[in-house]
Amino acid sequence: MASDDMHVTGTLVWYYYICQRQVWLMAHQVNPDEDNPSIDLGRFLHEHVYEREKKEISLPGMRLDVLSEKDGRLVVGEIKKSMRGEKSARMQLLFYLDELDRAGVSAVGELRFPEQRKRERVTLDEASHTELDRARRDIFRIMYLSEPPAPEKIRYCRGCGYAELCWS
Amino acid sequence: MKRTFYLFSNGELKRKDNTIYFETENGEKRFLPVEDISEIMAFGEVSLNKRLLEFLSQSEIIVHYFNYYGYYMGTFYPREHMNSGYMTLRQAEHYLDDSKRLDLAKRFVKGAADNMLRVVKYYEKREKDISNVREEIERRRADISDCDNGETLMAIEGNVRNTYYEAFDAIVGQPAFAFESRTRRPPRNYMNTLISFGNSMMYSVVLSQIYRTHLDPRIGYLHATNFRRFTLNLDVAEIFKPIIVDRIIFTLLGRRQLSENDFVKGTEGVVMKENARKMFVEEFDQKLQTTQNYKSLNRQVSYRHLIRLELYKLEKHLMGEKQYDPYVAAW
Repeated sequence: MASDDMHVTGTLVWYYYICQRQVWLMAHQVNPDEDNPSIDLGRFLHEHVYEREKKEISLPGMRLDVLSEKDGRLVVGEIKKSMRGEKSARMQLLFYLDELDRAGVSAVGELRFPEQRKRERVTLDEASHTELDRARRDIFRIMYLSEPPAPEKIRYCRGCGYAELCWS
Repeated sequence: MKRTFYLFSNGELKRKDNTIYFETENGEKRFLPVEDISEIMAFGEVSLNKRLLEFLSQSEIIVHYFNYYGYYMGTFYPREHMNSGYMTLRQAEHYLDDSKRLDLAKRFVKGAADNMLRVVKYYEKREKDISNVREEIERRRADISDCDNGETLMAIEGNVRNTYYEAFDAIVGQPAFAFESRTRRPPRNYMNTLISFGNSMMYSVVLSQIYRTHLDPRIGYLHATNFRRFTLNLDVAEIFKPIIVDRIIFTLLGRRQLSENDFVKGTEGVVMKENARKMFVEEFDQKLQTTQNYKSLNRQVSYRHLIRLELYKLEKHLMGEKQYDPYVAAW
């Protein structure tokens, strides 16, 4: 596998805490089925919520959904369809905060679940920084496997855009 | 799964704001819901412009064209949207490595033979006198695994198919639709016309499904690649032709829905008249929508979806995860 375009992204971090097979597939541009209704809904939400706020900032390895400022501090918002993968979502956001921190930008995070009308504050600390370093290394390890990790039936399979590939 | 639109009338396909509409030459207008279409099959004389093509491309809709005689002509295949360099390399690897390529080609031939056997057995149970054909296919099918080169494989494939066609007359039992021999470009009799038309449809349907995966339709294994033509769809269609196309032909003829009057003989061989073509397409579309249980997914899937799943199985073979084992009808 060519190494130039192999880097850990926020999306991969998100997948990492859900299913390691997804990490491998995603890293090999084997994308999920676009006809999948929940992917469609995710895309729709992404396009249509928080329209008044500034959004979609692209930086290497990150696509920040919503950016705002509160009490003189940068707030990075990440939009999620449901709270099902909450841990994943938090880690993805922490990854962004960590990357920004390395670039000398201090920011806090906000998880947003528009459908549940909920927001959740996320701040970077030493423990999450250590955990992210471990995750980064493990994501690299998975990306460089010559074959994808075998499928495993987990609670996220239902509704996953890869389910048909995995279980066909 | 999204729908297929069939355009039989002549007219113009246009983009109107964020939707597509078709204006026939008699001035009828029909809106096609963009969000709900995955492919358009154009049988009539359809004109279109770049603005529309751009919109189709954005919306990931592909258009198959059939010529005046109803034969597959070509496809507007928008720039691939599910590109995976990794998958393309795996596909090429399995093409360039002779043993890997032969292995895959054999799997397609075997899957096709198994489905032909299904069809033959199905009609055997319905008291058609074709047990000799079944036995002969079974014998020839056994040669597939031992075969060690492409030419021999093609020969076996040809023999299996010719043997299989011998059952057609007994199944149909109508002299007007005698099979005689397989003729293409142009087909010389009614039966050959039906087979060619049905196969054309099958190729385009498989191509549409390939478009929704990471596979490159230009790299096929059984059918030779020249990197300009789509061939992977031909390979995969082999599996489904007997159980979809041939069964439709037998059903339509069995119900006496088609007669000699539905065809015209011309310089281009025998062609179907428009109403017959419509009837065939309708039956075809309905067949693709019929569902069956898919064990490993534990739910009902349509034939159209089955084709997609077949492609996923192929992807897993290419990734080295799980060997490709073609779908064989259960009825």
